[in-house]
Amino acid sequence: MKKFVLLLILIASPALLSATTIEMDVSGLVCAFCAQGIEKTLRGFPATSDVVVSLEKRLVAVATKEGQDIADDELKRALTDAGYTVKAIRREDETIADVRARLKAKP
Amino acid sequence: MSNLSLVRLTAGGLLAFQLAAPAQAKPIAFANGTTIMAEYGAGTMAEAQAFYAPYYWLSLGGGVLHLDSDSIDRSRDIAYLRANYLVHRWNLDDAQANVFAWGGLGTARGNDFSGSKLDREVGFQADYETRRIYASLMSDLHESSAYSHRIDTLQLGFAPYAHDYEDLAAWFVLQGRNYTGQLHRGIEWAALIRLFKGGAWVEAGVTDGGKPQVMAMFNF
Repeated sequence: MKKFVLLLILIASPALLSATTIEMDVSGLVCAFCAQGIEKTLRGFPATSDVVVSLEKRLVAVATKEGQDIADDELKRALTDAGYTVKAIRREDETIADVRARLKAKP
Repeated sequence: MSNLSLVRLTAGGLLAFQLAAPAQAKPIAFANGTTIMAEYGAGTMAEAQAFYAPYYWLSLGGGVLHLDSDSIDRSRDIAYLRANYLVHRWNLDDAQANVFAWGGLGTARGNDFSGSKLDREVGFQADYETRRIYASLMSDLHESSAYSHRIDTLQLGFAPYAHDYEDLAAWFVLQGRNYTGQLHRGIEWAALIRLFKGGAWVEAGVTDGGKPQVMAMFNF
């Protein structure tokens, strides 16, 4: 039984520990003073661990807590209710720190 | 000039300052957000406002306003409740445009009329903004049994650099304002510098009459 449990943990752990960041392309994202509503809304999700907003890239990135996720529908509804239009949602295999570094390394 | 015209002229001139900086910011910040604002115009006005937005398209709140005429011995105090409504928003790839409308009721007391008057307000604002340019057109009507006037304001702004979310944003704004009912001769111009970062917004400038304007606003 112990071996079986250990095997399950080993199988599940890569999925739980791999870093995934949810990125959203957002239209109308031009004003930092207004976009703070997006950050406030997304940080209100229990699964959220960090949020990055880039006006230049028109991008909103959300890092979720280990083993947790936020459904696309919930994210889209949250940004729509904040007054913005979501064009695309995707999940990237990188940490939020990587996203932040990538955004700061402007081409 | 008749007494009635003088009263209307004075009332309009006083109230013209009510719509200085805060109305040029978006009347609704964001859903579930609270906005507080304080403004001072040298020798003319002082105002405090608080609004709460249950939705991104609606905010409700009120404020208190004290006005002093810079030309004759007139003062006024108005306490009001107001609702701001986002009529439509266009979310473009690199820009956003909005049309807002608002309406409110208040009580006004002054030394140019007796007792308190019911103040009625309606207005609209249309704006277009990218990270480098800003334009807005606003019209606001105040009426009571003692005064009636409309103020139209055009603002054109440019940012010397495109700010990002965590940067300090800086804007240079040129403002032109027209008062109906011979409230002001010609168009009053003002040059403003606007700075904001996070939820804090500070704006300062001077009119072509040499009057300074200062405003601070906070969203949370």
